[in-house]
Parts: sequence; structure tokens; C-alpha cells
Amino acid sequence: MKTCPDKMVQYMHEYLDEELPQEQETELKLHIQQCEACRIHFHELKKTIALVQSTSHISAPSNFTEGVMSRLPKEKKKIGIQR
Amino acid sequence: MEELVKKRIKQVLKGDQNAFGEIVEIYKDKVFHVCFRMLGNRQEAEDISQDAFIRAYINIHTFDIDRKFSTWLYRIATNLCIDRIRKKKPDYYLDAEVTGTEGLTMYSQIPVDERLPEEEVESMELQDTIQKEISKLPDKYRSVIVLKYIEELSLKEISEILDLPLGTVKTRIHRGREALRKQLRTV
Repeated sequence: MKTCPDKMVQYMHEYLDEELPQEQETELKLHIQQCEACRIHFHELKKTIALVQSTSHISAPSNFTEGVMSRLPKEKKKIGIQR
Repeated sequence: MEELVKKRIKQVLKGDQNAFGEIVEIYKDKVFHVCFRMLGNRQEAEDISQDAFIRAYINIHTFDIDRKFSTWLYRIATNLCIDRIRKKKPDYYLDAEVTGTEGLTMYSQIPVDERLPEEEVESMELQDTIQKEISKLPDKYRSVIVLKYIEELSLKEISEILDLPLGTVKTRIHRGREALRKQLRTV
């Protein structure tokens, strides 16, 4: 399990950042086909990203803007209409 | 979008406070979301994201109009989040997570008496789990992971927001991904 070159994990990350050169990408893919530990590692990384990206988008609470506006320092208020 | 924002900034600089309200409207969801994912707690996220806008307003004259406003705003917000995380006592984390969980449930706004389909419950539980694991990351990894995978910002923009060299951002993303991989592998 621990016989894999360290650079393979580095390659995985560069691949995930879309920065792995073609030649190294081929090397990584060949290695992953042969090495189960690295295959699992790579799969887990991709799964992690998918999970983080699956978190739903949440919106600011209602009255958020009013909350901010009411807390702004008053002295700069020169023009504009009060809501 | 950036053009409209720049126009509003110029109005704010002339003393038109209402123009700032429009800027808040445009960015409130993004800023709140970053703060929520960083802090894992809705109340804190609301406080800190409001603080971020107030700080932006007070310091608006220091914003370089030729740069991207969102980068500047994210920078203020992430700095405030990191300060908050560092000020927290370790034993406070547990409370924060519980509150965060409630927040998520509250957010979904489902009446209590209405039964949920099983997969929806599972997905909400999964969302809680993911958020808890993100909250366990050290702040330096958490901020890059949130900006990259939740806000989908480029590495270059992240390096500008966090004022870190690109190489440092990459290293932190790699380590953050490894840490999360270990935490989430059994999910």
C-alpha cells in the first residue's frame, strides 16, 4: 500500500485544480488503474468535493438590508429618501 | 453588474446612503452564505455579514474603484470570520454546531407537523454532517475550501481575497481537501 510514489497524491490534487500537465495525467491514470489504494484515495477526494458542492445555497435572513442600513453611521446621511 | 455597483459606490462616496442599500441587496446572499459556511451558525453569520457591510461602508473611500468590488467585500467578510473563529473558546464549538444544526432546520422552513419524505431527511442530515465537518477544519483550510467549492471562485481570486500567494492557496486547498477526505470518507 505504501509503495506508491508520493507524487501520485500531488498529481491528484493538481488534476483536481486542472493544473496537471497531460503527460503526468496519463501517468496518474495508468497508476490508478493498477493501484487500488490510490484509486480509492482519488475516488474519496472526488467524493469529498461533490459532497461539499452539494451543500445548498442559503439566503440572507429577511430584513438583512434594513438591519445593515439601520446600523450605518448617521453622519454621512446627506441626501436620499427615508424608506 | 460590476458597472452598476461602481456607479452606486460613487453615489455612496457623494453621501447617498441609500445607494449603499442597493449594494447590500446585490451581495447580501453571497456574503451571508460565505459567513454561514465559515462559522456554521446562522446567528453568527448574520452578525458577521452585517458587520462586513458596515465595515465596507465606513471604509468605502479606501476601495480602489478599478478593482473588483466583490473581491474586496469577500476579503472584509472572510477576515471578520477568521477573527471570530480565532476568538472562540474551544468549548464553544459544540454549542455553535448545535445552533448551526437548528439554523439549517429552521432555514428549510418546514412545518413541524408535516412529515418529511425519508430521502429529504437524509439529505438534511447529510447537509448537517458536511457543515459540521467543514466547521472542524482549521480556519486557514476552511476559508479556501469555502471560497473554492462553495463560492466557486478561482484560485487567483482566492489569493487576492485572502492576500496570500497563489502557491500558498494551492497548498491550503490540497491540505484542506485531504483533511476533509479523511473526515468524510465514511459518509
